[in-house]
Amino acid sequence: MVSPYAMPDPSSPLAAERNPDRDLQPFFVLRKPEPGKVVTTEATHGKARRKIDLSQLSPNSRKPSAALPFEEDADANYEQLRMQSFNATWSKIECTIQGCLKQMNLSLFEEVRGWIYESFDKIKSTGLHSVSNTLCPYPLLTDGIYRQIFTALILTKNMEFIDDLLTFQDLGEHLRSSGCHIANLSYSDFTVKHGIAGCFKSLLRQLVMVSLEAYDITALASWYCQKENNGKPVVLIIDSIEQCYGPVLAGFISIIGEWVIKIPIILVFGVATTIDALRKQLPSEALQCLNCCKFTLPSPSERMNAIVGAIFAKPSLGFSVGHEVAVFLRNYFSRHDGTITSFIRALKIACTKHYSLEPLSFLSRIMYDEETEGTWSIMCESLPVSKLEYAFDLPSCRRDSLNRKSGSEIAQGLFDFRRLWKGWTCVLLCLFEIGRISKMQLLDIFCEAIGQTTSDVHSSNGSSLSSVTSQKLCHASSQSAKGRLIGQAIQKVREISPASLSSLLESWAKHTKDIDEIHSKVRQLQSLLRSVDNDGASIFADVEDDGALKVNEKAAMLMKQIVEDMLKPIESIPFHEIFFFKHVGVLRSALTGDPRKMIQLDLLKSPSYLRCICCRTGDKALRPSMHDTSILYHLAQEHGDFVNLHDWYNSFKTILTSRRDSRRKVKGSSTPQKASAGPPTSDLTEASIQARFCRAVTELQIAGLLRMPSKRRPDHVQRVLLGL
Amino acid sequence: MVKTSVSELPKRTTRSCSLTESARKQHEVQETVEPLFPSVFSNFLFREESISLDVLLQHFPGRRSQVLEILQLIGPLNSPMIPLFVYGGPSTGKSSVVTQVFRHLNRPFVYASCCSCYSPSILFQYVLNQLFLLTKNLRNDFSSSWSCERASDFIILLKDALTQFVSVVGECSDKSDLKQSTALGDGKMIYLVFDNVEMIRHWDGSSDLISILFKLQDLLRMVEVGLIYISRAGPNCYYANIGSTEPLPIFFPDYTEDDLYEILMRNQVNPKLYSSFLRVVLKPFYRVTRRLDELSIAFQPLFEKYREQVSDPKLLPDETMNRRLFDNIQPHIAPSIDEIMKVSSLQLQQDNTGKFSNEKRSAKKFHGNAAYDGLDFHMSLSTKYLFLSAFLASRNPPTLDSAMFDSTGGSSNQKRKRKSSEASRQEKDHNLQAMLLKGPGSFSLERLLAIFQCITYVADCYPERETLDNQMYEDERSGATSDVLLQLSSLCEANFISKSASCSLEGFTRYRCTVDEIIALKVARSISFPLSKYLYRG
Repeated sequence: MVSPYAMPDPSSPLAAERNPDRDLQPFFVLRKPEPGKVVTTEATHGKARRKIDLSQLSPNSRKPSAALPFEEDADANYEQLRMQSFNATWSKIECTIQGCLKQMNLSLFEEVRGWIYESFDKIKSTGLHSVSNTLCPYPLLTDGIYRQIFTALILTKNMEFIDDLLTFQDLGEHLRSSGCHIANLSYSDFTVKHGIAGCFKSLLRQLVMVSLEAYDITALASWYCQKENNGKPVVLIIDSIEQCYGPVLAGFISIIGEWVIKIPIILVFGVATTIDALRKQLPSEALQCLNCCKFTLPSPSERMNAIVGAIFAKPSLGFSVGHEVAVFLRNYFSRHDGTITSFIRALKIACTKHYSLEPLSFLSRIMYDEETEGTWSIMCESLPVSKLEYAFDLPSCRRDSLNRKSGSEIAQGLFDFRRLWKGWTCVLLCLFEIGRISKMQLLDIFCEAIGQTTSDVHSSNGSSLSSVTSQKLCHASSQSAKGRLIGQAIQKVREISPASLSSLLESWAKHTKDIDEIHSKVRQLQSLLRSVDNDGASIFADVEDDGALKVNEKAAMLMKQIVEDMLKPIESIPFHEIFFFKHVGVLRSALTGDPRKMIQLDLLKSPSYLRCICCRTGDKALRPSMHDTSILYHLAQEHGDFVNLHDWYNSFKTILTSRRDSRRKVKGSSTPQKASAGPPTSDLTEASIQARFCRAVTELQIAGLLRMPSKRRPDHVQRVLLGL
Repeated sequence: MVKTSVSELPKRTTRSCSLTESARKQHEVQETVEPLFPSVFSNFLFREESISLDVLLQHFPGRRSQVLEILQLIGPLNSPMIPLFVYGGPSTGKSSVVTQVFRHLNRPFVYASCCSCYSPSILFQYVLNQLFLLTKNLRNDFSSSWSCERASDFIILLKDALTQFVSVVGECSDKSDLKQSTALGDGKMIYLVFDNVEMIRHWDGSSDLISILFKLQDLLRMVEVGLIYISRAGPNCYYANIGSTEPLPIFFPDYTEDDLYEILMRNQVNPKLYSSFLRVVLKPFYRVTRRLDELSIAFQPLFEKYREQVSDPKLLPDETMNRRLFDNIQPHIAPSIDEIMKVSSLQLQQDNTGKFSNEKRSAKKFHGNAAYDGLDFHMSLSTKYLFLSAFLASRNPPTLDSAMFDSTGGSSNQKRKRKSSEASRQEKDHNLQAMLLKGPGSFSLERLLAIFQCITYVADCYPERETLDNQMYEDERSGATSDVLLQLSSLCEANFISKSASCSLEGFTRYRCTVDEIIALKVARSISFPLSKYLYRG
């Protein structure tokens, strides 16, 4: 049943990868082939299996799950449903992420805008700006102080620049909408190759929108004198100052410094590391021209918190990740990459994989189609037998040993799950609020919450019950080894000031709106707090104030109670596999592919790819019909770090000239040249063998597996053994 | 019309051909220029009112002799002049004096700065545009439509432009009355001023251009043209290239302390207060810099601070108050002298960050481990390790690697600390100094990766590591190597590591870590890595 729907499945992850925003990640190229290898469809059966086997060869990628779906009766309809729900879910996730990132930047943008207009007023107040002055060919007589360029340094707080590529575009848009002239210059405009002309070209193309033969600043001056352009600040945004070529940037700055009295130019620099980077890069002459003001973008961990808060605590998205995947994502973020871009990409890969690997994942839309419960029940009941069997074979259902295996059972299970998950996320949101106050990483809290097992819950219950007073609990929490973040969070509630407590309760009330009993309790606490506040205005003087402490204590108790009641280990609830992505191995192999190792492995087993007739017998002996590069690589295995070229060449020649039936042992064979070259068995001449040898060696060198002979050892090549 | 005729000029023209062309053009230009007359020619003059000699001298305290010398050399009305070469340190008033002199003389001049015009063709265009009275506007797409790439074309066009100008001015001054001649400027001379000539030395083919510029007098052979070159570098830097009349050098020395005082005192709202301020700050700063621009930039924030103490801006300070103000300002002077670039931040934001850091400190006390300890930007963990290994690879001599990173992870390097004699200690000091002078050493990729592997191994063994999920971490580490090269490239992009250009195919690229120890220590502290233990100290 090769349907047209079978096609989008393997191609969709790739198409998704080609999103231009993500393309810029440098290691994208290296890992590009990975998703294609792992994602399989039923349509291309034989070939796909082979590829899967291959990916399992690497020790990193465990077999994802015992229940990898290979259904013989692939149902095109369900395929399509899965695609649809993937699209719907991912577009929701993406919108959410972008929304919250934009929101985070907005306040900073406003600050920058305010500063720009302030500076513009200062420039205008010198009274030197007029059309005739702008066009004046000679320098105006001014104080040195007016020659300074107002410069905003925007610290991106992340060494990797990739997250903020769009930030500066957005900043440009924001400023343009408030009436500035904007030119977005990138570091590639400040290169050795193009020199100062390069940056002026980019600048004039964006502002004046002409292409000239020679780009100089006088064109900008005359453009600024046009009536419609005059009277607005000219803002030049240069992202990633570290990557600019210092001398060119310095020249650019000194030219602008000459003209800043005539054209009100304001610079905005993106600085990835520290302000010292600027001091290192520019000569003092150029630094003298800058009048800097510093702004700070939200740090990656702050952004991460916002994203985690917006994504993982929302059951309505119908997608989440399991404990292992969450831990993997966290580690990947903190230890390996540290960019939001790669986190989003990892999330996207997880989402793609989830919808392609999980046959029932189309049911996840049940989470946001609440009105049409009936339709979903019908859909569940109409599931084919194979799908039903699959559903009840999910690890979480096996444990419960449901005996009636019907579609309605599934529907019921899903509705139950939905209810439970909503409560779960609601508690999680409340915990996140505490985490925000106490500067915890929300992803850590999420990892801990999702990683709870049934035994965990019981043990923590026991310990917290035994310790009623706050000090004891503090002690207990420090004792329990694995940083019990949730315990810490609850403890934190006892310590926060009344003001932050009231805002915390406010946010709790918002989150628990749908769950009446908790909502009412939160409301009670709020009124209690208010009454305490009203009672004593002298709270601050009295440290031992009972009232406020009591409220804190009560809030903590409430939190503890709802954590116990509702933050159940979600991974033991039936059918959670439909919503939670748990195949960490798949994700890991997609993200941290091992290209070097793969090259070397592939070279060793090239016959299995080529599948030629001569090598089919399956023995590992080297044959002259094999690919030259592969033969050479095999032979190099016999040597250590250094390979003697002469020996190597001789063994190579021996293999090429050996007859098929005489399987000679090649190891260490350094036969004299004349002996083996005697009567040419075929049309192989010495010259052609040498040519083939050279080509194969060059190929190995290009693949980065070899190094050419050094001066010290001219007859040896060095093997590069990285990544094995 | 000017434009079309000029743009018709082919790029490659023989001299005779272009001469006939220019003759034709000259005719046309005269026709077009005539009606626009007075307004257009004021372009060459100073826009503001002409000033008297006294005012001019008043403008430039400490430059009296130079101003007079220039005036003398430029000479009276309609007298030819020898080219002038005005030189002196930056910010000594060269450009201002020259332009203001022309304001005083009210004679036409053309000014071109070789800083703004960053290439020969742009310089040529800039000069010619001024002479041909071309303005860039929307109609001509802000382009100048000159394609004057070669210096020889420039000379021809320049000559055309100047002869045309001179003839127009001559005609006009012959027939017109006194009043109109003031609108055109005085006399039949036109002066070309080239500023920042020293910048040309960095251009491609600079020696040709410099010699042509200095030979302009000979090349043009026009008595009506005066030439003035302004440069920061002295005449010795150029004259090797010149085979003709040397321009007359005029040196602008650095300002003396009194000159600076006088200059800085101009246009002050409260001269008394400012003078007391200058008495405090000028002396220490004068020892560091004599550049007026640097001083005025440094003094502005200092004076703000100084003035903060005074409630009434019009108040005249007495002795006791001066004393008090001095005490206030004194702690700010020394740091401000060292400061090259001052980075301010908005008041509001400053408050916020202050609060944040306080909170962070308290949080640190509470939890015991802060994520970014002093390091104010984000780096992933393995990037930090790579960064540190690059730092170590650059600092330590390669021969010591095996001693530093032996099988025990370098923890047993106690044995090297023998009691040493005075002589050997001195030698060590000497070696250390030599090493510091040589700067960071370069290293190969292999060495970097080896050190990286060693220190990550050590870090794993290190007992104080957080054991939150060690097992997971072990799991992750195996995949780290594939990322290392990418992290290396991002370290290069962040300018922490510089890469020597070499054949990438050969793999002999050498790297060099360019960070100072302070940042490296910060990074090490943030991951509690014992950096100093691995650092070779001679």
